[in-house]
Amino acid sequence: MAPSVLIGAWVAAGLTLFMFSFLYKDNPFFRFGEHLYVGISMGYTIVRIYYDVMVKSLYTPVAQEGKWWFLIAALLGLLILTRFIPKVSWLSRISFAVIVGFGSGVAIPRIISSNILQQVQGTLRPILNAGQSSFGMAQFNALLILIGVITVLIYFFFSIEHKGAIQVAARIGIYFLMINFGAGFGYTVMGRMSLLIGRFDDLILFASRDYGYASLVLLGLIAFGLFLWERRSSALSDPDQDRRAAGSDPHAEG
Amino acid sequence: MRGLAGKLLHLDRRVIFVLIALATLIPLLRPIGLPVRISPEVRQVYDYIESLPAGSVFLLSLDFDPASKPELYPMAVALLNHAFKRDLRVIGMTLLVTGTGMAEKVVSGVASEHGKQQGRDYAFLGYSPGGSNVIIGMGQDLAAAFPTDHYGQRTTDLPVLQGVNSLRQVNYVISLAAGTPGVESWYVYGKEKYGFELGGGVTAVIAPGLYPFLDTGQINGLIGGLRGAAEYETLIGMKGKAVAGMDAQSATHFVIIGLILICNLFYFLTRRTTIRSFGSPQGRPGSPREAGR
Repeated sequence: MAPSVLIGAWVAAGLTLFMFSFLYKDNPFFRFGEHLYVGISMGYTIVRIYYDVMVKSLYTPVAQEGKWWFLIAALLGLLILTRFIPKVSWLSRISFAVIVGFGSGVAIPRIISSNILQQVQGTLRPILNAGQSSFGMAQFNALLILIGVITVLIYFFFSIEHKGAIQVAARIGIYFLMINFGAGFGYTVMGRMSLLIGRFDDLILFASRDYGYASLVLLGLIAFGLFLWERRSSALSDPDQDRRAAGSDPHAEG
Repeated sequence: MRGLAGKLLHLDRRVIFVLIALATLIPLLRPIGLPVRISPEVRQVYDYIESLPAGSVFLLSLDFDPASKPELYPMAVALLNHAFKRDLRVIGMTLLVTGTGMAEKVVSGVASEHGKQQGRDYAFLGYSPGGSNVIIGMGQDLAAAFPTDHYGQRTTDLPVLQGVNSLRQVNYVISLAAGTPGVESWYVYGKEKYGFELGGGVTAVIAPGLYPFLDTGQINGLIGGLRGAAEYETLIGMKGKAVAGMDAQSATHFVIIGLILICNLFYFLTRRTTIRSFGSPQGRPGSPREAGR
């Protein structure tokens, strides 16, 4: 096995166990892994942005292909950085105006079409087609969805008091929402368990002889480390507690 | 009974962690082989790829990073295996910068298993900044959105991309996504305007939010979470990591359902006595304060 693969396996197993150590309690191993993750993610992002954006999308087109108009976009990007210089920070508004204007112009019509018009059409189509065929399961589902949409909308309609028929509809809307939250929670649990399975899968692989029993060795070392850390923490906290109990708190004023 | 229920409701949460760990670990070490039922939304993706003639253009956008690897990586492996087996022209790319290395690894790895050559049989375009704007750019001019591929070769020179000037020439797009940009972005900014067929492969967390798009036909199929990946592996007859994880998934779900039922039962048994909150005054491990860290 290549040394790089072996080192990678030990690092991966170690960092996974560092993060899992939080399940015992917050500890230095977890904090080290957490900070390392943030740092590495940021470092990786900067390197990729440098090559994929600065070099590929700016330097190459301008310097090698003579597409000078790319510099306009670069200038707009640089103007955002003026936020850090209070005297000229107003210049950044030019870039933000372009971003907001372009973003809204592109997004609003598309979102309205996809998320509202086509969704409404999709909700109503099976009902409207119901007359052409016998009332089957598809039509029943469509009717159920339609009732759900209407009752949930009524629940979020606050301009009139929820009384009588409106109250009943709003209450039905709550039940639809609850079912939705339940389904969402179930899927979330499934997702989280999948992540756990993925990590366990790798830990089992790295616990094999081929990888030098990496997971098992590191698990033992981390457990020993946590034991030492607990002992040290309790040794450091005990004298303080003793002094406070005796009424001689070293941090007390006067 | 109420005393026991009270004690169990104050149980250290680390006991639950151990139970979940065991429920995950044991089936992974000793698989049971529970059957995997194929859902219609996953079969629709499979059937569509099956219906594509050899040489059709298949774009796989791997819009996820290593944080979602356990769910979406097996999906990517299964879909790429299927596409290469069907001799489709595969284009790989990502809209998430932190997923670039992993996306390149899976595309080139599966391609080499099938003896496919980079540039001739498949292309990996890599990452381009802009999220949704990249999709719009690809719809207008693919070579403008990606002047070079991930390896620095000009996209206009790649044989695999001959005749593919924009998304209009792409037969099928699948976005494997863990959030935004993802399937919805590909629909809103891509499919609706450029007319290609679109499928989705997503993490379980965002799958429920995409079912309305599936019902209205805005996407033609949906692979949701590790379960969806296992279904796809079963369909292509190549059982991998997703199928292997299904026993563990079922076992953990049994444990969680059992815990929910027991906790609710005990809560109703004890709610008229002293159980009003489960927090401990010292904020020791197991308390909500610790859990909130």
